Amino acid sequence: MGPLSRDVWAQRLGAFRASPSAFMAGPEAEDLGRDLLGDLRNEKLSEQTKVSLLALSLEYPAQLWPDATAAEVAATSLLDTLVLLPPRPSALRRPLLLAATTALAVGGALGPTSGASCRLLPLLLGLAAGSDLGRGFVPASEQRPLQATACECLRELESCKPGLLGGSLGLLRGLLGQEGPVQPLSLLLSLALRNTLVLQSRAGAGLGALLTARVSPTAGGPWDWALVEEGDGRLQPQAPSWPAAEEGDGERSLTARGHSPEEVRELRAAVAQLLDTSYLLTPVAQAQLLWLLGWALRGLQGQPPALFKPQLVRLLGTAQLTLLHAVLALKAAFGEALFTAQDETLLLRRITLAAQHPALPPSTHLFYLHCLLSFPENCPLGPEGEEAAPLLLGPQLCRGLLPNLLHEPTALLARLHLLCLLCAEDEEEEEKGQLPSPGHYLEELLAGLWQRAALEGGPRALATLCFQASYLVARCLAGQPTVLTPLIHGLAQLYRARPMLAPHFVDLLDQVDPELREPLKVVLRQEVVSRPGRDEALCWHLQMLARVADGDAQSATLNFLRAAAAHCTSWDLQQGLLQVCRALLRAGVGGGLVDLLQVLARQLEDPDGRDHARLYYILLAHLAGPKLGVALGPSLATPALASSLVAENQGFVAALMVQEAPALIRLSMGSHEVKGPLPVLQLLPEALEPIYSLELRFRVEGQLYAPLGAVHVPCLCPGRSARPLLLPLQPRRPAPARLDVHALYTTSTGLTCHAHLPPLFVNFADLFLPFPQPPEGAGLVFFEELWDSCLPEGAESRVWCPLGPQGLEGLVSRHLEPFVVVAQPPTSYYVAIHLPPDSKLLLRLEAALADGVPVALRTDDWAVLPLVGDYLRGLAAAV
Amino acid sequence: MAQRAVWLISHEPGTPLRGTVRFSRRYPTVEKRARVFNGASYVPIPEDGPFLKALLFELRLLDDDKDFVESRDSCSRINKTSVYGLLVGGEELWPVVAFLKNDMIYACVPLVEQTLSPRPPLISVSGVSQGFELLFGIQDFLYSGQKNDNELNTKLSQLPDLLLQACPFGTVLDANLQNSLDNTNFASVTQPQKQPAWKPGTYKGKPQVSISITEKVKSMQYDKQGIADTWQVVGTVTCKCDLEGIMPNVTISLSLPTNGSPLQDILVHPCVTSLDSAILTSSSIDAMDDSAFSGPYKFPFTPPLESFNLCYYTSQVPVPPILGFYQMKEEEVQLRITVNLKLHESVKNNFEFCEAHIPFFNRGPITHLEYKTSFGQLEVFREKSLLIWIIGQKFPKSMEISLSGTITFGAKSHEKQPFDPICIGETAYLKLHFRILDYTLTGCYADQHSVQVFASGKPKISAYRKLISSDYYIWNSKAPAPVTYGSLLL
Repeated sequence: MGPLSRDVWAQRLGAFRASPSAFMAGPEAEDLGRDLLGDLRNEKLSEQTKVSLLALSLEYPAQLWPDATAAEVAATSLLDTLVLLPPRPSALRRPLLLAATTALAVGGALGPTSGASCRLLPLLLGLAAGSDLGRGFVPASEQRPLQATACECLRELESCKPGLLGGSLGLLRGLLGQEGPVQPLSLLLSLALRNTLVLQSRAGAGLGALLTARVSPTAGGPWDWALVEEGDGRLQPQAPSWPAAEEGDGERSLTARGHSPEEVRELRAAVAQLLDTSYLLTPVAQAQLLWLLGWALRGLQGQPPALFKPQLVRLLGTAQLTLLHAVLALKAAFGEALFTAQDETLLLRRITLAAQHPALPPSTHLFYLHCLLSFPENCPLGPEGEEAAPLLLGPQLCRGLLPNLLHEPTALLARLHLLCLLCAEDEEEEEKGQLPSPGHYLEELLAGLWQRAALEGGPRALATLCFQASYLVARCLAGQPTVLTPLIHGLAQLYRARPMLAPHFVDLLDQVDPELREPLKVVLRQEVVSRPGRDEALCWHLQMLARVADGDAQSATLNFLRAAAAHCTSWDLQQGLLQVCRALLRAGVGGGLVDLLQVLARQLEDPDGRDHARLYYILLAHLAGPKLGVALGPSLATPALASSLVAENQGFVAALMVQEAPALIRLSMGSHEVKGPLPVLQLLPEALEPIYSLELRFRVEGQLYAPLGAVHVPCLCPGRSARPLLLPLQPRRPAPARLDVHALYTTSTGLTCHAHLPPLFVNFADLFLPFPQPPEGAGLVFFEELWDSCLPEGAESRVWCPLGPQGLEGLVSRHLEPFVVVAQPPTSYYVAIHLPPDSKLLLRLEAALADGVPVALRTDDWAVLPLVGDYLRGLAAAV
Repeated sequence: MAQRAVWLISHEPGTPLRGTVRFSRRYPTVEKRARVFNGASYVPIPEDGPFLKALLFELRLLDDDKDFVESRDSCSRINKTSVYGLLVGGEELWPVVAFLKNDMIYACVPLVEQTLSPRPPLISVSGVSQGFELLFGIQDFLYSGQKNDNELNTKLSQLPDLLLQACPFGTVLDANLQNSLDNTNFASVTQPQKQPAWKPGTYKGKPQVSISITEKVKSMQYDKQGIADTWQVVGTVTCKCDLEGIMPNVTISLSLPTNGSPLQDILVHPCVTSLDSAILTSSSIDAMDDSAFSGPYKFPFTPPLESFNLCYYTSQVPVPPILGFYQMKEEEVQLRITVNLKLHESVKNNFEFCEAHIPFFNRGPITHLEYKTSFGQLEVFREKSLLIWIIGQKFPKSMEISLSGTITFGAKSHEKQPFDPICIGETAYLKLHFRILDYTLTGCYADQHSVQVFASGKPKISAYRKLISSDYYIWNSKAPAPVTYGSLLL
């Protein structure tokens, strides 16, 4: 296809944006990425159009260039376009840099062997350093913006590949001290510093050297791929762990590793340098800097967080959400080491103030209120991870934060929660000052909510709010009779005023604890049965009674039903009536119910209703209690099967339709088979109920493998072990993947169901296949030939593979046995692995030491290097 | 701290979809990190169509709430922040930061840098506050100085380019989009070292500093035993500093007269470089005493280019500027009302305007009215069931005015009269609207001579003040009224 005009592109981009998935399923999908790259160099297109093309590539690179190869090609082309721009100012340089960065990072092509990476990285670092790149590459007017953009690109790459800039810390520090733009360099340096500190605590590199080394950006490059590999696939959380999130996550916190005094001095100087100029950053960027530095210094020995102190007063005075949030992060990270008891009080008061300040928007108030209830206290008392009012936050501080009826629903609920927490404390402490009792205020507030919900013609949102408030109170103050009694009374009154809220009552009864549920049921039942049966709201009464009727107060219930039966003229009322009968049947009510059912079986106008009544009568008359329970079952569908036209029709429709259902099947991975030309997954299915005609469908995310066929199983029964299912994989790239799994099956009641199962993960090692066994004695020659064939296109690397107590021999026999070509136990093994579709991976494990073995490895596919690194390092732990 | 995606959705009640996505932006590098961080709990960002539907449902904007829907109305689905979980394609997308303002829904999904199950507390997610700030920034950009739909559309069309500047990879660089717009304009200027990132260029021209203090006073008056009337002043100090140089230093002092009411709850702009601890700790949370810090309140700062809010404060003045009572009684078919308003003698009796709005909710249109007023004119909006008592520029010498009358209403029609859940039966209020120029209730003023500017040239300094009413309610004292906890403190 030739170059496209502006209008055609506008139309095409519009169609894509309207629904990317629909567009990508269409005929134009394949060419889009290629056309886009081509037309960026089309001189007939305006810069504006080209910017819109680049904007698309910034948002949807995964759709345009779905794999690493395509991403590499795209990035190369984008870089070529950049180089070919005439030396005058252009709006394209910036988006081209962003697009090349995005393509490499998203496509997974970023790495030491990617040509585009090796061009982009020095270019970015050169631009960031403000060096002269020659040939009028950057017009003077664009130098400054491009310098900032290059920093942003580097920061994004460092975010995606932590540790990448580990070797550039000294250079970045130098730039920040000189003429560089403050914000982009500060953010880049703080991120690189954070990542290096985290990774280096594992890798063991010298920090002091990194902070002072000034590498020239034009020489070979300071890229620390080794450090990247160290952290690869284990992106670091940028947030300081909060007390609640910290549990069992010790690995993420910095291991307190001793630093030499010089290192400590350099680190302190670098952090101080960043903090001193932080005032020049925009508020959002200042916040990012504080989060990063807080995380970097947390848990580091000899690094008292006092460096942050000079900034705090300035930050505490602002209204800026990000800044106060960052201060809270520092509080969570350092606790008492940074905030004395008095500081803590001041911070708490500032947050309390911000949560109600009339000059701030409502959503900010709500976030601060959340922060108050999750406040990282120096000495927390309650259980971790639960919202609670901080100890210092007494009723006096809270009085401006309590709810009233004029608040929006969200604000009302948030403040009501605080009020409930105060009431709970009030109860415990019995401390009465001159403040009005929170419990009394709560009672009045609830009364107001019930009154509003009771209004004829009021919107459902008001009713919902009222029930949410009641639920919240019941949950927070369960076990306090002084609260529950008026709550039950108020709800009963509400029902009396507005029976159409019955579905809300049923929902509330389903959600609350028995402490409220049981007494509320009794009161609501009384409300219903004390009425004459001919109420306008009869359908709601019946719905309510079906939930609250049980063995108690039988005669009143039956009297009500007898009276109501005369007024149940329509089908749905009759069904409602029968639902109550059913509930009574299940509750084991006998005597009077038999008579009622007999009457209903004769009297009801609707034949379907009569059938139901007769069925219940027969069940009641002939089955003993336990059997009756089984016959009625938990599902409403069962009696429907036995009924006449309408219900039959319902059953018929249900039988024809596919039902969405929870997964009744569990799938687990079996042992890994290494036979045949393709990797095969062994799946072990397990059913929770008998199911028939099971079809399992698999979808590979990211199109890494060819589409997978469905697997069929005629029948699965719980407790009976099934044969393992075999799922052959056809990789397009040797990479791990996530499989989406759907199941379609028939239940024993004849319904066809569809369920979404938890995803399966195909590991890198699941793809390993052996090479054909060479003739006896030819192993070494065969291996050497494979070894030599990997270069020059492929890659070579060395990895340290830790050994567990079982030693090298144990590790090989456990994980690599099928792939060993040459073995000289226990010291030396040559391993050749075929990675479908057509890659190879060769390992030499020799000269093992007590705690590990150096592995020399070659592959003809550089993209697998990080995967191999992860795999080998994980082996010792995998035993 | 990055965002995975940002949306701008106009809420359009009455249209088939109830809304349109006006702008959206996805960040694929952040999405890639989300996939790794969230692991098995990862839920991808949906396309615009499904997102729109799920968000409107969650925000209860689909106006189809005739029936009880468990996934929306269940009592256990309690949301206490503007952060939501959206059901999309059977999975829950969380956290979605979203709020509605001026019929526009602002939404974004911050990256959570850990697994989502169990859900981490919001306070631990750095991207949440960053997301809010970005959305507030977009909102400010769209509605600052915007007058009509055309201007809004122009600004919307600028958004893609601006976000490319302000948030190129999903990590917000500057929530002030006006800066990004100026940045493109100032791009040719070679910026020297230590240029603040929040100041895209430097000012050239005559130096001038303008300071304006706007106080809003709100009040809830009940005229009842056992319930205290409440009132509060909220002040905003806005500055525009046109000064040459990269970082000119300015110090503005706010002063109070001897009987002035101390400023409390002071929040400052991030450009303020240092704060006196007395300013930081003076707060309305504490019980008032005579030792409260009463200024002068000094704010040293380096001004940004644009007009900005230097600080906000609140204050508790001893008396409300206008004290009133409102009595309303239902008498068979008509309502009898009596209103009395009294201006406090200390308040400047020179209004730009002063009106009392007396609405009647959940009733039909006004069919008949008889009234008597001691001062001013009464306007009647029959269809809206609203009376407006226009008091004008001055209260009479006695400082006290009254209105009484009887009103009859026609039959209620549901379409024209929206349902009000507060004003039921005799529960009713009147609301005062007024404005006084060159006056503050606290007495707070910026002394022109105390403004210190460290920059070349002597700037012209101008200062403005005004007092505006806001949420100034006087409730019917003959019926129950919604009270706050503060009203119970006697």
